[in-house]
Amino acid sequence: MKILKHVTTVVAALLLAVAGAASAKNLTIGLASEPTAIDPHFHNLTPNNSLLGHLFNALVLQDENQNLIPGLAVSWRAIDDTTWEFKLRQGVKFHDGSPFTADDVIFTFGRAPDVEGSPSSFGIYTKGKEVVKIDDHTIHIKTERPYPLMPNDVSTIMIISEEKGRGAKTPDYNSGKAAVGTGPFKFVEYVPGDRIVFERNESYWGSKPEWTRVTFKSIKSGPSRVAALLAGDVDIIEQTPTVDIERLKKDPKLSLSQGISNRVIYLHMDQFREESPFVKAKDGGKMKNPLLDARVRRAISKAVHRDAIVDRVMEGIAVKAGQLLPEGFFGRSPKLSPEPYDPAGAKALLAEAGVGDGFKLTIHGPNDRYINDAKIAEAVGQMLTRIGIDTEVVTMPRSVYFKRASRGAEGGQPEFSFILVGWGSGTGEASSPLKSLLHTYDKERGFGPSNRGRHSDPEVDRLIEDALATVNDAKRQDLLAKATELAIGRNQGIIPLHYQVNTWAAKKGIKYRARTDERTVAYGVYTE
Amino acid sequence: MSATTDHLAASALSSQARVETPFRRFVSDFFESKVATGACVMLSVIIFIALFAPLISPQNPYDLAVVDVMNARLEPGEQSWSGDLTFVLGSDGAGRDMLSAIFYGLRISLSVGVMSGIIAMIIGMVVGLMAAYFGGRTDTVIMRIVDLQLSFPAILIALVLIAILGKGVDKVIIALVTVQWAYYARTVRGSALVERRKEYIEAATCLALSHRRIVFRHLLPNCLPPMIVVGTLQTAHAISLEATLSFLGLGLPQTEPSLGLLIANGFEYMLSGKYWISFFPGIALLVTIVTINLVGDQLRDVLNPRLER
Repeated sequence: MKILKHVTTVVAALLLAVAGAASAKNLTIGLASEPTAIDPHFHNLTPNNSLLGHLFNALVLQDENQNLIPGLAVSWRAIDDTTWEFKLRQGVKFHDGSPFTADDVIFTFGRAPDVEGSPSSFGIYTKGKEVVKIDDHTIHIKTERPYPLMPNDVSTIMIISEEKGRGAKTPDYNSGKAAVGTGPFKFVEYVPGDRIVFERNESYWGSKPEWTRVTFKSIKSGPSRVAALLAGDVDIIEQTPTVDIERLKKDPKLSLSQGISNRVIYLHMDQFREESPFVKAKDGGKMKNPLLDARVRRAISKAVHRDAIVDRVMEGIAVKAGQLLPEGFFGRSPKLSPEPYDPAGAKALLAEAGVGDGFKLTIHGPNDRYINDAKIAEAVGQMLTRIGIDTEVVTMPRSVYFKRASRGAEGGQPEFSFILVGWGSGTGEASSPLKSLLHTYDKERGFGPSNRGRHSDPEVDRLIEDALATVNDAKRQDLLAKATELAIGRNQGIIPLHYQVNTWAAKKGIKYRARTDERTVAYGVYTE
Repeated sequence: MSATTDHLAASALSSQARVETPFRRFVSDFFESKVATGACVMLSVIIFIALFAPLISPQNPYDLAVVDVMNARLEPGEQSWSGDLTFVLGSDGAGRDMLSAIFYGLRISLSVGVMSGIIAMIIGMVVGLMAAYFGGRTDTVIMRIVDLQLSFPAILIALVLIAILGKGVDKVIIALVTVQWAYYARTVRGSALVERRKEYIEAATCLALSHRRIVFRHLLPNCLPPMIVVGTLQTAHAISLEATLSFLGLGLPQTEPSLGLLIANGFEYMLSGKYWISFFPGIALLVTIVTINLVGDQLRDVLNPRLER
């Protein structure tokens, strides 16, 4: 620990020396996970989207509560059932001084869906949309069916410069050559594994951030991140470990910000294989996959003691979940509440389903993705073992986990039988998780890309598809709520555990506006 | 030489009835040191705990039906929420009793250490004896491989192997054997080279005994004392290496923690003042390694013919 502190101190001192005698306001941010590229369309991943929002803007931005606010577009409206019109902001310049026009938007929507080697593409947000230039500062986006979520989808695509972006590949962005956007910060340096440095864009179109120079350092281990903050090597950290929060709150030299996120942590079960690879009979022999039976899935939900997970594993810093999004988000069902803990009822359901003697199951989960993920998996393992489902717990780094969980088995099918995962709604409403997790898997049409249990119910599919084409907000809300009630309340397609609550810790004097999308952004940091 | 005769005479005088055998002499020499005696007692206690962990532990820390997250992170001496168990050394983040976890962890650490020690010793011994007995090209090839291997840090080789082989007790043992056999090979070759020139080997060769018989029946028994010493010290080394691998998350599964993994799990609680989760397993590991090293040191002193007392 001590040695580590020394090393980070020395590194910080060197950095300061390099930065020179700049009198400007510097900010150093300790990130829990490093972005995988500086290319805004390479990987649809929270750390990437969070970082690249500094360099690039989308047409529509999301504020800290994921409300939509004007970005590079000043206004938008549906001019008929299948056409949206976006009025672009005038006088915006890219970092290299070139003007921003409709051509850049058209170029961006052409590039975003197919970036070479992308592990998770932005195609889900661009599919089925045709962008047409009307004049330099007006575009139309056309769809086949009415598409009310257009502004939400558009808010996920960051606009790049056509001039710099033509022919540019991901390495050109990582080197900074093509990393030219319209955002509040400019690219300075990207050293993978060590640091990312940005400086303020003095000709930014919006309100200028306080900080002239921002350095992001990735410090993966929670205790090391806290130690770096206490030692003054970084000014603010994200994903403060839950075990430390109580003590850090009392520290007069620090200030904490906390906020619920749009991320639900849930269990997904194999609902497509007659024989599931990680389900065994008690004697170790083969058996018919019991997870196909909704009663067994409900029994698992009843056996999970959500209060224990929230209080004992998460130290009270989480909110137990009964559906896809926490209160306050669009598309929630008012009828669903978290399944109460009922081990006796769970056993009765198992008996009713003909597996009263229990079976053997392996739960797979990541150990470096969500807050306390490995510990949650272990706690779930304990709870299921107690109702007779002998559970083995296997956790692994996310780099291995997600590949296997999504397409590790033959034919690119999901490998595991029972997994712990999380989903944050990129659009800030319920259609995103419903579409990705609970709609029948359909690669062609872009449905169910993360439906790793392959849950499938035509009634739910119809409701989701209708909702996606319903312009009237009240009607869409009803359809989304109904879909959630069927998929979770009736079918137990997934078992929600809790919503994450994020905590940022900063040194005294600076504060962070907690964000529901879990992003850590320099323009959300302010001095008190 | 005269010292030995004196010693013999003295012990012969003190107990007329007892016959002086090499083993008795070894035992009496060994227990001359109070520190070594203490270490020996301590080691017996540790071995006892490791062997009978399931019988003496208050809880089976690997049984998920017993471990309850409701009891997570209790301080030493606190009661479980149902009141049927007292956590003498506290509990970890999953509600596991630390005392039981340490007992079971010792069992894993010791068995991994001893198992890998024995296998590495057998491999190293055979290879080292071959090098010494046949000499020439065989010797050169074997000893260059040994040199090459010893020039890499042990932890580096182990890390690479675990990365290739994957997790699991058997994989950890394979990795430890791979890093350790070279020490045994070098040691046994050294003493075998000396023994080989002695008359009894020459005599055995003249009797046209088979190579195998000469090597294993004549050469090997006379090379054993240094091997016992190296074996003891290397076992301690293997235990600490296994703990390091587990600490780095490369050893054993989350639900069956060895001492290293227990320390790693507790590490994240250090800043929040929950010291017991990594402190007590750390102490257990420290005591185990120090004890084995003390016993090994005393063995070296007693078995070293140059250190006649």
